[in-house]
Amino acid sequence: MDTIVFALLNGVIHGLLLFMVSAGLTLVFGMMGVLNFAHASFYMLGAYFAYTLQGIVGFGPAVVLAALLAGAVGVGVERWFLRRVHHHGHAHELLLTFGLSFIIAETIKLLFGNHPVDYRVPASLDFAAFSLGSQQYPMYRLLMGGVAIAMFAALWALLTRTRVGIVVRAAIYRPRMAEALGHNVQLVFMGVFGVGAALAGLAGAVAGAFYTTNPNMALEVGVMVFVIVVVGGLGSLGGAMLASLLIGVITSLAVGVDRSIADLLAFLGARSWAEGIGGLLTLKVSSLAATIPFALMLFVLLVRPRGLMGEEA
Amino acid sequence: MRDSLCTTARRALPVLATLTTLSGLAQAAPVKIGLLETLSGPQASTGQSFRSGVKYAIDKMNAAGGWNGQPVQLIEYDNQGGPAGASDKLKAAIADGVQIVVQGASSAIGGQITEDVRKHNLRNPGKEIVYVNVGAEAMELTGEKCNFHHFRFTGNAQVRTKALVAGMKQAGTLGSKVYAINQNYSWGQDMERAIGDNAAAGGYQVVEKTLHDTNKIQDFSPYVSKIVASGAETVITGNWSNDLLLLMKASKAAGLKARFGTVFLDQPGNVANAGDTALGHFIAHAFNPEAGGAESTRFVDDFKAKTGHVPTFVEPQAAFGLEMVAAALKATKPQGDALNVNAFAKTLEATRIRTPMGEVSMRAADHQVLMPFVVSMVSKDAKYKADGTDMGFKPVKVFTAEEAAGPVQANCKMQRPD
Repeated sequence: MDTIVFALLNGVIHGLLLFMVSAGLTLVFGMMGVLNFAHASFYMLGAYFAYTLQGIVGFGPAVVLAALLAGAVGVGVERWFLRRVHHHGHAHELLLTFGLSFIIAETIKLLFGNHPVDYRVPASLDFAAFSLGSQQYPMYRLLMGGVAIAMFAALWALLTRTRVGIVVRAAIYRPRMAEALGHNVQLVFMGVFGVGAALAGLAGAVAGAFYTTNPNMALEVGVMVFVIVVVGGLGSLGGAMLASLLIGVITSLAVGVDRSIADLLAFLGARSWAEGIGGLLTLKVSSLAATIPFALMLFVLLVRPRGLMGEEA
Repeated sequence: MRDSLCTTARRALPVLATLTTLSGLAQAAPVKIGLLETLSGPQASTGQSFRSGVKYAIDKMNAAGGWNGQPVQLIEYDNQGGPAGASDKLKAAIADGVQIVVQGASSAIGGQITEDVRKHNLRNPGKEIVYVNVGAEAMELTGEKCNFHHFRFTGNAQVRTKALVAGMKQAGTLGSKVYAINQNYSWGQDMERAIGDNAAAGGYQVVEKTLHDTNKIQDFSPYVSKIVASGAETVITGNWSNDLLLLMKASKAAGLKARFGTVFLDQPGNVANAGDTALGHFIAHAFNPEAGGAESTRFVDDFKAKTGHVPTFVEPQAAFGLEMVAAALKATKPQGDALNVNAFAKTLEATRIRTPMGEVSMRAADHQVLMPFVVSMVSKDAKYKADGTDMGFKPVKVFTAEEAAGPVQANCKMQRPD
């Protein structure tokens, strides 16, 4: 029982973290139509900014500043790079951000070295929130989940309940009309991209301390973030949330399942036959846990290409 | 101008060559050693560690006069982290006249290289090359795939686990319930088997075994839940890099009390990133600067003077391996002013050197090195601190090459040249 409670909790929190990273990507795509390949790089930047700043200003302020700095880098990228290629279409934007992701990774390696840096959860937050059975649940994980939920609520409220949201949406769907009404569409785009980058930066600053901060961290989450955005539906914030939670929980539960197809066949009395064949038939579900999200993505693409909550193309 | 010089040189060369052969005053091409390592991409940090160890030993060999009156050339090739890249770069190296290829990071790449080397040598008798493996630890490389032209200068899962289990048992920290968690590819599977094989000797029971995807998992907490539920007292893992760090951090967060027995905890950055979580955990490795007395200190100081840092992780084993290569080269006489690779390989089989850890030799039957292993514990009392923290690796027990050795695998059928 404890095991299942923990598996669910672990899954939900990991899902929330994945949402934090993918929110910015789906936001930028939904609002601007830019598929930002370098998105996970902003996640990495956030972690390194926070690592660098924590010694000077302390952990909390460092996390906030790291998010703002990552956002500022995002604004710069939009202003001086993306805007120049925007009229060439998606391929140029994609290639540009793809190149950018390499440049950011190499710069990080140059400045901080190849190995993980010692960015850790501060001692004041490093304690157990509660324990069930013989297992403790770390406070910091709950905190990460809390930050993600707060972020989701704030974004949703901003886009659907405020004037800024109206202007942003207008600038996306009817850019010329919005411009004619005196709104600066360029500025809106810059802002949206900056916010997207800042969200990834925040996620990195928060998660980098709990997991590890190393030059490969963008690579590690990068692919998963795209899976989430595809499963949830491109551009849908709610979809990203749903997909993140789904993937988090499924992976977490799968780890606990030490069953294989051979066990399933045992009901038909064919266990020894299956074990004789081996290979895929005796592969445990738990050893495939990290592959399941990709299978889920393929399945979603087959039966519902627009994603769980994506709009009809 | 340049062209004409070149042509002149080209015309003159055969003449010169004949002259030198006639006169017997050898001025042959130097021996070329190709480092076929992962120098870019996610695993570049490991590849670069191997490079610094290899480079240290070759510089030392050249300072002592090189081979056949000429310095040995080290040429670097970036295999870009995959077997396909390694295969391409091996062709380039052969075209460049490389006779000895060195590689260490990744057993998958090692498997590719050993096969390519075997095929090349079959097709090109008289132009053989030899593969100096300084880090690929999969059992099959000295088992099923064992090959006369492959030499392994590092341990393998059986050797490391045997030492680790014996060392932890002597320290009284092994416990009777062990959890095996490993990466799901050849290396991790070997480790899982070795952990099972050593159960009787260590007096423990393997309560559960888990294989997980390599370098794909960010959140290890579901795995830690399983470890907690199993009631294990010790976790033995062959995990390296991020998979090891994330596993240890998740264990700490869940309040898991189990001790870790590891083999790659000394990778730079690990101790710093894990922090106090690392304290009390064990590692079986090829070198501990504190374990070998004055000789160790001399090696460490020299390494530090040349490279700027104390040797850690795979650097010592790479350096020792290449020192054996150097010793074998020294004992091989040139034939027609060039290196006869088969003669060199036969000499290498009989080479013995002394390292600060003790005597190292090559086992001719399967080309697995017999080298001492050290079991250390992360502690604040260690003389040499890791990653600029206040923690380091305190030696618990040094096993001589004979004590650490595992048996020759039965499926090694080595074809030897006449």
